[in-house]
Amino acid sequence: MGRSGSRGILLIGAAALILVLLSTGQYSSSSLGISCVREGYGIFEKVIRSPFSFIAGIWNHYIFLVNTSHENEVLRKEIDELRVRSMNLEDIKNENQRLRAMLEFKEAFQDFSLIPASVLSQDITHVFKTVLIDKGSRSGFGINTPILNPSGVVGRVIAVSPHTAQVLLITDPNSSIPALIESSRVKGIVKGREESLLSLEYVRSTEEVNVGDCVVTSGLLGMFPKGLKIGYVREVKKDDRQIFAKIILEPCVKMEKIEEIFGIAQTVEVSD
Amino acid sequence: MLKLWKFQISLFGILFAVILLEASIIPAAWAPLRVDFFIGMIIGQIIFVPFSQGFPFVILGSLILQAFSGARLGLIPLLYIFTFMAIEVLKNLIYLENAYIQASLGVLFYCLIAAATAFLTDFAYLKGITVPLVVGALLTGFVSPMMAYVVGRLQMAYELEYE
Repeated sequence: MGRSGSRGILLIGAAALILVLLSTGQYSSSSLGISCVREGYGIFEKVIRSPFSFIAGIWNHYIFLVNTSHENEVLRKEIDELRVRSMNLEDIKNENQRLRAMLEFKEAFQDFSLIPASVLSQDITHVFKTVLIDKGSRSGFGINTPILNPSGVVGRVIAVSPHTAQVLLITDPNSSIPALIESSRVKGIVKGREESLLSLEYVRSTEEVNVGDCVVTSGLLGMFPKGLKIGYVREVKKDDRQIFAKIILEPCVKMEKIEEIFGIAQTVEVSD
Repeated sequence: MLKLWKFQISLFGILFAVILLEASIIPAAWAPLRVDFFIGMIIGQIIFVPFSQGFPFVILGSLILQAFSGARLGLIPLLYIFTFMAIEVLKNLIYLENAYIQASLGVLFYCLIAAATAFLTDFAYLKGITVPLVVGALLTGFVSPMMAYVVGRLQMAYELEYE
């Protein structure tokens, strides 16, 4: 068999392998190999980030302050006086706001443990909307763990490794969440759609839906707790010939700007 | 054999740096923007590396990229392997060692991969990202000759070291 023959067999073999992988259906990217890649990337990202933080620290705390040392003494008295007055009011105010939001969260979902995590990376494709976070099964994240931030629902975990997890955002085309309109209690399914928007589907045209209505999780299927904010109605199109209305939602969370998120876990196994 | 391993390990090192750029750094600057450095690496593989070494790299590289996407398992490798095979065929028809041709191929395959991904899900999802898609395609065209050059230089460097 010539070189072109063996190349042909190689290509057919590779294509067959890919087709078999494709036919495995829903997300199964928690396999050992892919988990190892994500774990490796998590460590790699932290290693890459640390020298930059170190250099920034040196710049901010040493080089940048060389010429200000003599000014320091002049200003010290003034600073001391102001310090007494201000007592880090701004920090306390910010901290208070954060703690208040956290407390409201905790009170609203006392049966659940909130696990904080940070976003490491985003999806490499245009169409799919996923993010990689820096906490995994060791911190209590599992498949279908709901992910949110104080503004509302962010998504759910679709793949997990010991120290990282992949989150499917609610704006992804593959995402669907049972939901209801908070004021009228009309139920539907929230799905991801283009332009980082959402659509509320399977709501009858006869139901009353208004622009600005808040849409929350319905708690059906048990994946998401009831009452979490998803988005607000942005546009409603009703057609007498259609059974269901076309409802477009604006998500509460700006997906492009998420950095810190929370996972809801009923049991936390081991903390890092 | 050692030379081959060193070359492949260097390529995977570059691939990880590229993933850091594609998945963390570039989206931090502009969230919807995706620049594809891997197409340039594929072009470089086809020009400078024998098929028997280039093809396994593309398969493994695309499987690694799969870990950074919500796409169903196999979709990303499928797209990149088809890209590899298409450029491999084009190699016999056009002169690939030209930076302008490499840039054009970068833009073309970037658009084809985006269209194929959307075709396998829903074309409507490309509607809201026209501007980042165009910018991403142009930037991919810009970086493709650079990545091909990097692969070529790497191959040459290892050749020289063992001569």
